Amino acid sequence: MQKLGDFKLPQFFNYPPYFTLQPVRDTREKQIQLWKELILDFCKSQKVFLIGVEEDFPLFSNSAIDRTLSHEARETFLSAIVGEGRAEWLDKGRRKCLILWHRIQDWADIILKFVRENGLEDSVMTVEEIRSGTESLGTELEGIDRTILMRALKLLENKGKLALFKGTSADDEGVKFSV
Amino acid sequence: MRRRPGIGGLQKAAAARDQYRLLGENVAKLRTDMMKEQLATFKSQLEEFARKHKNDIRKNPAFRAQFHEMCAKVGVDPLASNKGFWAELLGIGDFYYELGNIDTGIGVQIIEVCMQTRSLNGGLISLQELCSHLRQRRKKDREAVTEDDCLRAISKLKVLGSGFEVITIGKKKLVRSVPTELNKDHNQILELAQGQGFVTVEEVQRRLSWTSGRVIDALETLLEEGLAMIDNGSKDGKCQYWFPCVSSVYSFVGSDI
Repeated sequence: MQKLGDFKLPQFFNYPPYFTLQPVRDTREKQIQLWKELILDFCKSQKVFLIGVEEDFPLFSNSAIDRTLSHEARETFLSAIVGEGRAEWLDKGRRKCLILWHRIQDWADIILKFVRENGLEDSVMTVEEIRSGTESLGTELEGIDRTILMRALKLLENKGKLALFKGTSADDEGVKFSV
Repeated sequence: MRRRPGIGGLQKAAAARDQYRLLGENVAKLRTDMMKEQLATFKSQLEEFARKHKNDIRKNPAFRAQFHEMCAKVGVDPLASNKGFWAELLGIGDFYYELGNIDTGIGVQIIEVCMQTRSLNGGLISLQELCSHLRQRRKKDREAVTEDDCLRAISKLKVLGSGFEVITIGKKKLVRSVPTELNKDHNQILELAQGQGFVTVEEVQRRLSWTSGRVIDALETLLEEGLAMIDNGSKDGKCQYWFPCVSSVYSFVGSDI
């Protein structure tokens, strides 16, 4: 089976017509379904949080069969993921797409779990430490996209689980947990 | 003087005809009796044979196919009754049906595979691919499923009126599980597609000497029915029409299984 890094590609990825947006509705719906799943699975496995529609995202082309997804196809598949609440367009021009292979609520839960498991219930941390500190190594939080992390933290702040505060610089943005 | 047949002559002729008729009937009866006896002997020998070679029939697909051929010649259908002598003796009725044990019957699994792949191939799947799917599902079987087994199971499915049909296009047998009727034009395109897995309008026009209108009509229908997919990505700019049913969804260039 063909692989991208250590990610196993599904068989449809090697079938040329799947790289052309299908005109027949039922066929197109099946096509969109397959691409949605592929994109989400890949992003989760490779920890990809952002996709630039005009960039060389590995799934957009398959050199083995010499095919590339058109701009329209890329937008269609990503919009379908947005429609399901598993992604967001970051700009009106629909050029950058934030991928939520975990929803914001899921990330919030992961953060709470992280706090409890590390005994951080009343402590203070920088935002940066949450995504790159020693406790996060090997966890899902390692390397999490900053935008997504901030959104999840704000969600928790609204629920009174923590308080966000600014430090002396952007890097010092901190969190006081009251879980 | 020519003698005309007299009453006596007529009566004699009638009697002779009767006798011939009786003789004829007797001969026929004799022949029938002989045949019946021969058949009975043959049948009991077949039963004996089946008993002796039960394991070989179960385990060896080639042997099994020949056994079925033999049975067919004699007019014995080992699959006709799930409860009959044959089914009990060989347990092969179960192999094909197992409707009681719904997971394992080949017929039921064929229906499942066809339903699951329908959205990918429009309801037309090559016998080869179908078989390979079944083998995957039945990995624990001692006896590997063969294309013959599939064909037999499908013929039983047909009897149940499930809309299954096996069609031959070019060198391939395809199993159709949807009511889509394919006409000759469609079949010819499918056959052409077996070469590279796809066709172009120009190629069909050239090879079959059709007008472009005729080609496009047929291709449009095949697209609408979900049997074909278009591909605009070829470097030469020509639109390619691919047919999942002739190139197995699992055997594309670049993938190694």
